[in-house]
Amino acid sequence: MNFKLLPVIALILVLGTAMAHADATADTLDQHVTFSGFGTLGVVHSDYSQADFIGNVVQPRGAGDSSWSASLDSDLGVQANFTLTDALSGVVQILSRDDANGQFKPTIEWANLQYEITPDFKVRLGRMVLPTYEHSDTQNVGYTLPWVRIPIEIAYTDAGLYSDGIDVLYRVKTGSVTQNLQAQWGRTSVDLPGVEFTSIPAVVVVLSDTLQYGDTSLRLVYQKYSGSGLPPVQLRVTGAGLTYDPGAWFVMGDSNYSQDKFFGDFFAWYVSGGVRLGRFAPYAIYSTTRAQSVGTSGLKSLGNDHTVAVGVRLDFAKNLDTKLQLQQVTIDSLDDSASFAEIDPTARVGDKANVLSLTMDFVF
Amino acid sequence: MNRHVKLPALGALFLAAFAAANVHAEDIVVIVNPAAAPISKEQVADLYLGRSDAWVPVDQAVGSGIYVEFYKKVTGRDGAQIKAIWSRILFTGRGVPPKQLPDSDAVKKAVAANPKAVGYIEKSAVDASVKIALVLD
Repeated sequence: MNFKLLPVIALILVLGTAMAHADATADTLDQHVTFSGFGTLGVVHSDYSQADFIGNVVQPRGAGDSSWSASLDSDLGVQANFTLTDALSGVVQILSRDDANGQFKPTIEWANLQYEITPDFKVRLGRMVLPTYEHSDTQNVGYTLPWVRIPIEIAYTDAGLYSDGIDVLYRVKTGSVTQNLQAQWGRTSVDLPGVEFTSIPAVVVVLSDTLQYGDTSLRLVYQKYSGSGLPPVQLRVTGAGLTYDPGAWFVMGDSNYSQDKFFGDFFAWYVSGGVRLGRFAPYAIYSTTRAQSVGTSGLKSLGNDHTVAVGVRLDFAKNLDTKLQLQQVTIDSLDDSASFAEIDPTARVGDKANVLSLTMDFVF
Repeated sequence: MNRHVKLPALGALFLAAFAAANVHAEDIVVIVNPAAAPISKEQVADLYLGRSDAWVPVDQAVGSGIYVEFYKKVTGRDGAQIKAIWSRILFTGRGVPPKQLPDSDAVKKAVAANPKAVGYIEKSAVDASVKIALVLD
């Protein structure tokens, strides 16, 4: 089976079946297809001139040298949901953002068909964004995040973005605890940290369990990537995160330990908390990543940095929010410090960047 | 003369304000199909927060008085938080938000027609076509 064609096949099936159902009248189309979308407009300023602060690990450049950059956080996504039968549905999402190529070229983020065996047992076939860390599958939907963006350190392992394959979702309730089990298998391409040769093909296996107990949720995830590119991909990511969000305030923490044969081991984590005061939701974050061992690449202390951030989200109108975030990032290693790109030889360990971000998120 | 006119006017104003407050504070009830099993407040919260697919929730118009009150009482969250929660579910392809209906009559009809449906309306709007599962005060 050609995995690369899976999202395309899913797309064709979804569109084809939807058209067949739509019966050329707007009324019926309305019942089978719903459109939605999201986006962010953002600007970022960094006072540090020896490196570019980036918003996502795959970005080749960002904000530096006292200039403003709109490319870090700005994005636009559109989605179509298709209801084909009672049990069969589909979703297609197209996203435009600044990616590894530094372009806003639209890419297919999600394109899958879902078959509901029971309301608690679903199978998906096609393209799914990987659940690598908390919020990773909606990291581009700013409106769903309490902060401007996900703390970059947690994403430093930068495993694959999405996989083309099969996904099984099973929900089981035991007393007051609901477990959301997920098993995924597919093809992905792994963007490697700190190097230009991105997109190495790999097979990914994902096992995850999200335990929900009232307003508390515990998320456990294991991912294994293997591929025979150059360098060969032999990466395992184990993650655990805890969130308590009763509505009026929230605390959360997330962590992952990555074991990569070539790049060595990393441990990344963050803690965050915030309160909701009417339309305002101020928050704080501490995040860091630390290399734990040296891989066959010989690169030491890859990625090391730490960040202290404070910010506020303001829900100023229906389906619109704006966020202001101030953060100080400390470079703890000159080997591809997680929050930066284009690090100059003049940069020093211990250097600090003060970064100001202003965004507006919308959903429709 | 002025004093005599003003006092009753002031009284009427108070009465009007009281009546308005009273309407606002009218009990909201969670309704289910007469054939449906009982449902707890926690189950209702899970449904409207997208944590459960065991029932089919139907919603009132976003931002309406009853919508705001319902979510505040059952989930402790406001409209923006609810939108963010459902955006997370929607944009990961895992589900779509509860269907929104224009008013309590429409909610009642939807619940009467589907044994799996759950809705919420003003207590005064209840009739024999549906069953009260919970009273939110």
